[in-house]
Order: sequence, then structure tokens, then C-alpha cells
Amino acid sequence: MISLPVLATILAMAAVTYLTRIGGYLVLRNRTLGPRATAVMEAAPGCVLIAVIAPHFVSPRPADLLALAITFLAALRLPMLAVVPIGIVAAASLRWLLG
Amino acid sequence: MRGLVASLPVTAGFVPFALVLGAQAGQKGLSALETPLMTGLNFAGGSEFAAIGLWTSPPHLALITAVTLMVNSRHLLMGAALAPFLKALPKRRVLPALFLMCDESWAMALADARARGTFSLAHYMGVALPMWLAWIAFTTLGALVGPVLGNVETLGFDMAFPAIFLVLLRGMWTGLRAARPWLVSLAVAATGHLLAPGAWTVAAGAIAGLATAWLWAAPRKTGAAA
Repeated sequence: MISLPVLATILAMAAVTYLTRIGGYLVLRNRTLGPRATAVMEAAPGCVLIAVIAPHFVSPRPADLLALAITFLAALRLPMLAVVPIGIVAAASLRWLLG
Repeated sequence: MRGLVASLPVTAGFVPFALVLGAQAGQKGLSALETPLMTGLNFAGGSEFAAIGLWTSPPHLALITAVTLMVNSRHLLMGAALAPFLKALPKRRVLPALFLMCDESWAMALADARARGTFSLAHYMGVALPMWLAWIAFTTLGALVGPVLGNVETLGFDMAFPAIFLVLLRGMWTGLRAARPWLVSLAVAATGHLLAPGAWTVAAGAIAGLATAWLWAAPRKTGAAA
């Protein structure tokens, strides 16, 4: 039920995440970060998330690009519980219509 | 008790995220034991969505660890902001408690500490523990349901990832200026994908965005001084 490569990856994730949790308290509590370091830390989560989904933005299938545009518009306003089914239904129906 | 009551609406908000994450993990082949092991030990949703998005069999350990570190680097700032309120407490009590520091438990603890002038460990644990337990329980449930859903590609389930990430990005949105590094990351990662698809495009896109944030941070300071 638990494979070794999966366990190793999970433990590595857990270790770096815990270090980020205690690192700020232990290291940064008595000093202030410069504007550049602060800007990098604030931008980091968004940069990583968008880089992960970047291939969807350059898909060769028109159906997928249209579905992504619909999902994007939904994500501007609606909650997660609505956006996910909208994206799934848009992708499934457009692929069926456009191939 | 006070923390527990305050925690409930936020904890309920965790449920859909946890179900979707668990289902995606299940479809990527993680078992109903591996999924709660990850979500329980890591307990940082954004990094877990990113990790599952990049998950292969076997997983790319170095890439996933690096992405986890980058997504969670904001914890460093959060811990530093909370630190002044933790001075009265011994490290042996603070360090285990920080294991449960997520965006939501941190925000609620900081707001409570500012309102009362003092940090309450009992309140913090009351806020954070239900979140942690719900996260583990509902990602496990998702992992059990996920593999039953069938072929994800034709049914459009693969669109769930961009959908989730776009909602997460909206939550991080603080204005176009702050989001410019995101656009650089997107452009570099997308171009990289067109040239030579592979996991490296995530790292290249992220690093390009962070370099942009670094370079663009300085003019704001001189602009304010001028």
C-alpha cells in the first residue's frame, strides 16, 4: 500500500514544509527582510502554481483552449466548488463537439 | 473551545478542496494510505496540489521537493510575523505547534493575538487541529473515490487542475503589479513546454518569475523615495 519512492517523496515534502514553518520563527524573528527578498517570497507560490499549469495555455487542441478560457472566466468570480465542475463539463463537452 | 468554534466555518471550507485533492491523488495512483500520509505530514494544500499535478510513477523526488519548498516559502514570512507574539512561550511548545501553521490557522491566530494583545496556544490548537483532522479525513475519502471515476482525459477531469490553480491564484491576487512575475513564469514555462516538454519547464518558469520579482522589487523603493 505504500511504495518506497512514494514514501521518500512524501517524507522529503514533509521535511521541507516543516522547515519553512519553523524557519521564519527561528531565523527571521529578530530581523527584517529586504524589499527584494520579500518580493520574491510573496511571488513564489503564484509563480510555481502558474508554471505547473502552463502547458494547458498552449494546448494544440482548440477545444482545450476554449475550455480553459471558460474555466478562467469562472475562476474570476465563482467559488472552487463551482469552478471545478464548470471546467470539467466545458472540457468534456467541447472535446466531444470539436474533437 | 473558543478556537474550536471559530475554526468550524473555515474547516468546512477545507472539505471540497480536500475531496478534490484526494480524488486527484487517487487517480495518480496514490493509495488510500499514501494520500493521508502526504496530507497529514505536509498539511499545505497549495504544495500538495502542485505535487499531485506533477506526480508520476515513480514520483520525481527532487522536482516535487523543490516545488514544495517554493510554494511553501511564504511560511517563512508567516512564522516571522507570528514570532513577536510567541516570545513568552518556550521553544519546545512552539516548535510542535508550528507544525499545524497553515494560511488559515496562522491568519486566525494572528488576528486573535492582535485583538487580545497575547497569543493563546489553546485557541491556536483549537483552531488548527480540526483543520488538520478534516484535511486528512476528506483527502482520504477523495482518494478512495478518485480511482472509481474512470478515464480522466476524455471525461474532462484533467481540467480540474487548471480550475483549482486558477481559483488558488485568484486568492493570492493583490494587483497586477504583484502578479507580473506570474506572467513571466507562465510565458517561460509555456514556451519551454512548446520547445521541449518536461518537468524542467516548471522549474524554469518558477525561477524566471522569481528573478523577475527580485529585479522589479528595487524600483518600487527608489520610486517611493523620489
